[in-house]
Amino acid sequence: MRSPRIHPGAWIAWAACAGTVAFVTTDPVYLVLLWAVSWFVYANHRSEADTARSFRIFLIGAVVAVLLRTALVFFGTISLANTAFSFLEGLRLGTILVIFGTFNAVTDPFGLVRMAPRHFHEPALAAALALSIAPRTVESVGRVREAQRLRGLTVRGPRTLPALAVPVLERGMDEAHTLAESMDARGHGRGRRSRYRPQPWTVASTATVVAAAGAALVFASASSAGWAILHPQTAPPVWPEADPMLIAAIALLALPGLIGGRNP
Amino acid sequence: MTEALRFDDVTFRYPDVAVPALDGVDVAVPEGSFALAVGPTGSGKSTLLRAANGLVPQFTGGTFRGRVSVAGRDTLAHPPRRLADAVAYVPQDPGATFVLDRVEDELAYGMENLGVDPAHMRRRVEETLDLLDLEPLRARSVRTLSGGERQRVAIAAALAAGPRILVLDEPTSQLDPQGAEDVLAALQRLVHDHGMTVLLAEHRLDRVAGWVDLAIGFDRGRVRHGAPAEMIRTIGTGPPVAQLGARIGWDPVPLTVRDARTLAGSIDLSPPPTPLPDGRGDVVAGVDGIVAGYGTHDALRDVHLEIHEGEIVVLMGRNGAGKSTLLRVLAGVHRPSRGSVVVGGSTPRPGVDAALCPQEADDLLFHETVEGEVRATLVARGETGDAGRWLDALGIAGLAARHPRDLSAGERLLVAVACVAATDAPLLLLDEPTRGLDPPSKDRLVAFLRAVARDGKAVVLATHDVELAAAAATRIVMLAGGEPIADGDPATVLGDSRVFAPQMTRVFGPGWLTVAQVAEAIA
Repeated sequence: MRSPRIHPGAWIAWAACAGTVAFVTTDPVYLVLLWAVSWFVYANHRSEADTARSFRIFLIGAVVAVLLRTALVFFGTISLANTAFSFLEGLRLGTILVIFGTFNAVTDPFGLVRMAPRHFHEPALAAALALSIAPRTVESVGRVREAQRLRGLTVRGPRTLPALAVPVLERGMDEAHTLAESMDARGHGRGRRSRYRPQPWTVASTATVVAAAGAALVFASASSAGWAILHPQTAPPVWPEADPMLIAAIALLALPGLIGGRNP
Repeated sequence: MTEALRFDDVTFRYPDVAVPALDGVDVAVPEGSFALAVGPTGSGKSTLLRAANGLVPQFTGGTFRGRVSVAGRDTLAHPPRRLADAVAYVPQDPGATFVLDRVEDELAYGMENLGVDPAHMRRRVEETLDLLDLEPLRARSVRTLSGGERQRVAIAAALAAGPRILVLDEPTSQLDPQGAEDVLAALQRLVHDHGMTVLLAEHRLDRVAGWVDLAIGFDRGRVRHGAPAEMIRTIGTGPPVAQLGARIGWDPVPLTVRDARTLAGSIDLSPPPTPLPDGRGDVVAGVDGIVAGYGTHDALRDVHLEIHEGEIVVLMGRNGAGKSTLLRVLAGVHRPSRGSVVVGGSTPRPGVDAALCPQEADDLLFHETVEGEVRATLVARGETGDAGRWLDALGIAGLAARHPRDLSAGERLLVAVACVAATDAPLLLLDEPTRGLDPPSKDRLVAFLRAVARDGKAVVLATHDVELAAAAATRIVMLAGGEPIADGDPATVLGDSRVFAPQMTRVFGPGWLTVAQVAEAIA
């Protein structure tokens, strides 16, 4: 099951800080370290099998983002400098995706709904339901494709597409309709709410927030005060630098991977 | 006695449908009663249930006349959410109602909406977990549960909100016999000890007829209600004991095995009928020492099985025993991690050597007409063929021009069976083909499967429905924990079981399986 020890709010802070760090640098050393840190945190906090799949999808998305961004260079002057620049921009984008993938894998969107302040409950629930559509559709596509195959219909190409698309879409619509009905029938939107077993804020949560905020502050100060190089020169490309202070800051982001941790 | 639920002259038409789904319905369900809605598939039961908390007409549109009051409140004057404290509703497809992710949170969701005090809420969640034996699942994600588990969670979530009236649409369709018994016993306890009112729709009358004290009989939107025995006699269906009673003139007709035993006291039926010759031909399919599972969990362990031409093999066993996995292995879509599977002399080609009708019939249906749907299968194997033949064989030729979406759940299931059978594969597999299936449709399905087997094919079907198994099987394989624990002719395997014995066996002893057998022997 999901680790109970780090509060979803702390995960939001962690993801925001890690994202900030990735946002202010294009230095591949720091970015690659962020991939490693994200994976480490994911590996120690991932919950059920289905989240492993969604993390993999984010990972693939990140790699695709790097490749596509790098490929953009073919629309302009192809030079080593341009390629390096595009690659680093892509790597930054990919890093942000990987961080989001980790966040997605270690928290439950519906857990976030439950901690949302009362006034934000409705939009948070709508967002969580919207987020759950993608994995449900993926599952539904797999099931329908298999069912059609078992009656001898192989879904391949546009002519056979309806055999896949129609059941998936109709089921999706039906499910959405049933869910809306069910939520209303179960009293959703009566306006008075209480909260079941709110997750406690733990020391591990505080430590996660403090460490992540520290990392973000160090990078922010390096970015504004310019005491370290965050954007290595690409024309011509030089070997990137690695400031020990900044590496230490990234290491702070790995803290939740060391504490909390998976349940036995 | 006060009325929990009252329908006054209710007539309702769905938008763009000429025939009313409910036609002048007058029903009163007294507080503290256990009421059953019974009638053929598509006769308006689900519509009535959904009208009980105003989902019909508030979510469906259409034209509505008359008045429904629930706990004294008019369902037109209040949106469904304002009735949530009084009435809870569990629809046919239990997975679709889940809002949150964890089982425990799902149980609390309704109470959170009602603003129940947190300490009270916690206590009620714990009680409900115990009541439906869900404690081991409390921290699981609802998306990872099996069909039977989902069904119990959906019922628990409805109960936890603490309604006075609970409305359930086929609440045991995916449960094994023991699981169904447990759920019904829990409902019965709530009715008896806490004065709750329960209204449920169910086709498997053998499971529920003995528990209820009011029956609402449906016939094309028209409704009559009264004592269960009387209603079951007037609508001409019922659990096997009642069917037998009606055939041989017992009055009143018995509803339970116990009543039937009393009435049958003087009848001596020995010896039991000799089992039909199984008519086995050559081996169609075989699995040899297979192990198969998901991740680290083995759903099947070391299974050996040979299936012959002319056999109808019924797989039974509790939820999670490995029935569906075995079907998927035979179909060639789940590769076993050990052992071999052979269908028609080679590794099964899905849809060619083996065809499977899935649990969710709707996963198949995409055409605008029923006929087109069957033709799609024929075209896929390069035939122009006659779709009508398959519809005829299932007794649904009359639906050929209809849109599958407009049919009832039971009718759609028969269409799905036709689509799958039209592959003409030598091995026909069916996973739990019972949701929404009323007794007449079930008879058609059984007759069809017999014809398929006579044709020299083999049928393997997984079901929890013991009466369907008793009527259809030439052989029963019982699974537990992924291993076959019994394999033989139905009279022996079912006659030997406390949980899986059909009603005729319970009344007249091992060997007696169907109403027809007993009625013939008595006549």
